[in-house]
Amino acid sequence: MGYSRDILTIAKWEVKRSVGTMGKNVLPVAIILIVLLIAVTGFTAKSGLHLQDGIYKVGTNDPELASLFSGDARFSVDLADTATIQRNQDYYDLMIFNRVVYVHDTDRGKAAAKTMERDYTKYRSNVYNQQSDLFAAYPLWIDIQYIRSELDFTATQSGQQVSVRPRSNQPPSPTGPVEPVAVPDTSIGISIEELRSNLQQSTSKNSQISRYTDMFSGSGNPLGAYKTPDQLSPPLPFDSIILVFLFIFPLYFMSQFFMMSIMNERVGRRGELLLSTPARPSAIILGKALPYFAGMVVISAFLTLWIKASPYIVLPLIPVILFFLAAALLIGMISRSFKELSFISIFFSTIATSYLFFPSIFANIHVVSLISPLTLIVLTLQGTAISATDYLYSTSLFWLSAVVLFYVGVVNFREERLFSQSDLFAKTSDFIASTLSFKRPYLSLFLFNAFLIPFVFMVQLMLLVLFFNLPMPLSLILLLIGAAFIEEIAKSLGIYSMIRKAPQFFTWPVIVGASIATALGFLFGEKLLLFVTLSQITESVFGSIIFTSLGVLWMPFLLHFSGVLIIAASIKKGGEIGYGIGLLAAVTLHCLYNAYIILGWLS
Amino acid sequence: MKKDLKGLGHERTILLAILLQLFIALFSSFLMVGLTSMYDPSALSKYSTVHYNIAYNGSDSDLRGLLASDSSLRVYDMELAPALQSLKERKLVAVVYVPDTRPDATDPVKITLYTLKNDLQAAVVDVKLKEQFVKYEGELRQIRAERIDEEPIPLDIPKSTGGSDYYEFVYGLLIPLLVIMPAIISSALVIDLITEEYQNNTLETLLSTPIRANEIFWGKVAAALILVPLQAGIWLFLLMLNGITIVNAPQILAYVTIVAMVLILVASITALYYRERTAAQFVYSTAIVVLMLFSLALPENPMNIIAKLATGSAGMEQWLVLGLIIAVVMILSVLTNRYAAKSMRGNQAPR
Repeated sequence: MGYSRDILTIAKWEVKRSVGTMGKNVLPVAIILIVLLIAVTGFTAKSGLHLQDGIYKVGTNDPELASLFSGDARFSVDLADTATIQRNQDYYDLMIFNRVVYVHDTDRGKAAAKTMERDYTKYRSNVYNQQSDLFAAYPLWIDIQYIRSELDFTATQSGQQVSVRPRSNQPPSPTGPVEPVAVPDTSIGISIEELRSNLQQSTSKNSQISRYTDMFSGSGNPLGAYKTPDQLSPPLPFDSIILVFLFIFPLYFMSQFFMMSIMNERVGRRGELLLSTPARPSAIILGKALPYFAGMVVISAFLTLWIKASPYIVLPLIPVILFFLAAALLIGMISRSFKELSFISIFFSTIATSYLFFPSIFANIHVVSLISPLTLIVLTLQGTAISATDYLYSTSLFWLSAVVLFYVGVVNFREERLFSQSDLFAKTSDFIASTLSFKRPYLSLFLFNAFLIPFVFMVQLMLLVLFFNLPMPLSLILLLIGAAFIEEIAKSLGIYSMIRKAPQFFTWPVIVGASIATALGFLFGEKLLLFVTLSQITESVFGSIIFTSLGVLWMPFLLHFSGVLIIAASIKKGGEIGYGIGLLAAVTLHCLYNAYIILGWLS
Repeated sequence: MKKDLKGLGHERTILLAILLQLFIALFSSFLMVGLTSMYDPSALSKYSTVHYNIAYNGSDSDLRGLLASDSSLRVYDMELAPALQSLKERKLVAVVYVPDTRPDATDPVKITLYTLKNDLQAAVVDVKLKEQFVKYEGELRQIRAERIDEEPIPLDIPKSTGGSDYYEFVYGLLIPLLVIMPAIISSALVIDLITEEYQNNTLETLLSTPIRANEIFWGKVAAALILVPLQAGIWLFLLMLNGITIVNAPQILAYVTIVAMVLILVASITALYYRERTAAQFVYSTAIVVLMLFSLALPENPMNIIAKLATGSAGMEQWLVLGLIIAVVMILSVLTNRYAAKSMRGNQAPR
């Protein structure tokens, strides 16, 4: 009871403190700025964005065409007689005489021609939209029907690429069952006036922006399915980047405040008072994080309501929120100065955003997209149902990492850690060493390495996304080396930190024992996670590299054990340089092992 | 200034910033294709050299001839049901069904296009199909010409021979934004540099040295400012390595540095006023959004000039605008100088 009361008290203090510091001086200024922002947005909407004004120079003798293209600010149009313009040919990117466009043979000229073509198409559409006989102006209409076809890793492995191999003159024959399909109706079924208003609307819209806003309007638009050839604009998988801006950016912004709150406790040792209270460190951290967590959930819910999407979208966001907060906690605890804080948080946010964004590109195409919770959001917006196992696949790593990071933060939330000034690597090593106990070294090493697995998987999965669509032998080799490297570093972290802290503790019997504990922990964590998730990936040859064979257990154990032993021994004998050499040796060993497995798989 | 620059170097976190730039640069080719296609979807089709299998069913029409004439498409005549199944198995990339409506009928010709959802390849093929559909539409319009009241002004624009697709995106959007980034980062940096002294209570110690308060202040500003042409220069150099010709690089760097100076001065006023990082960063971030949006809405704004400089289409107006901004910088510098001296010697607690 006291524990949860502590959390709530600290949460209240945190809110009071933030509102207090921000309140008096910032709030009035913030309000003024928000009002200015709205005013400026209105001004921009009316006057337009003048980023590309005047980059193309056009010369013509035709006043009609001159006024037509002056409407596009990118063109700087000169109206003069033919002779004057021809005298300055090199100055103009485009010259128009007698309804023919002459293009200056430079990159800029060609780009100008392309832009003019687009503007001309728009002008033509405007003219045709006014015709009384709409179907004479627009005789061709296209009804787009989307078929869903998802690939998994067994397809990639068997050599079937995402693209299609061309056949001979014979049409391809389907191997699966052929279901009878009704022949499409020849009529459109929508009145001419509705079509006309739809056309006029779409011609006036800026297609580059509407592609993104249409994503949120869902598939409920009945007119959306029929398009004229000019209107065809394929939806691209990269469009999911707008979700990053909409949902992830505010989360990142709010976690910055939490990060600063933690950092402020360390500045001038101000947090000493808080630490001396009877509240436990975990209560302090949870209490501080609670207002920000609640705020982030509320913002996400509000955004979901604003785009009128299903409220289930918030569910995949919660582990991401926790992960951001946990990372913010540690970054706030590690940084030595504000500059360091800014740099590290920018670095972290770029990596995290890439991890969230890249797999979502492959939504609907490949199972690998499920690695990122963002994919779940994309699928929900499209109306595809998400199963509980899908949710587990995507978010389990985020939940686990968040928990582990919070634990590391809680354990290190002490005076000597918060107020020390050692550099980044030394501090990280100290942090890790704190989570390990010298009284029960083997047990703590076992648990530490088991809990390290989520991070190892995250990094390896990122490698997988980067490499998997490369041609076959290259992707395997790169993945092989990368995965081995990551695993060996991960396994060495615990032992390295402990040896650095107390080298005399590590006699040779202890080294052997520690290696056994590390290897066991790593193996145990691996198998446990496999059991819960990602079986689709493991059943392919890619999975066998990352997740070592499910069959015999003693072989992978031996591999892990020898790897760690090599590294530990090298550290003991050679210190930091020994670490580097030992790491290389262990990685080579690991690669050889993996290669052996692969050759076995392929034969 | 030396102290601050050394401090930056010492912390090795600047290594992280450089790593980050490398990380982005490594992905540059992927990003280029991705970002360009977001800007102009039809650009995608130029990157593929594969042949795509299309199924055609329904009644015969001139469209079939047009589709077959495209060398990257292979057209097969198939029944609808097996065609759709083959589509699902990815043996085809698209299926086209053409109704039996006559070309000169009053009804529209409604074609059904079956394609794969969210597929990158399908997107490429859709662009190629669009070309042929547009041609067929032109044919049908000719046939129904008498029913059209007003024709648009005819204009003959030669087909673009490639290479023009990402020009506008790179020069009109990427370069100005990329080059302004160091300016924004440096201005955020200067807030950190200044509020640090206040919050760590190191300012008094500094002031007790022979260095004057203003020298401390301008030292920090200089440290932040120097990074801007350095970083922007590196970005421009990386772009040039990637084969993108940029003319007028020195003028662009000069512009960026002057704009950075404005931003840095605004940021330092915010930092001197609030004397605390969270408040200063928050207010400054919001202010900069307002400032950027507002300037983008004005004609001949600095970003526009940078775009024009990069493409070589800038005229005399670049000097005018440069002069204007320099004037602004001078006025701001004088004001900030006075404010810095007052603020640093006065109350040093966070506001």
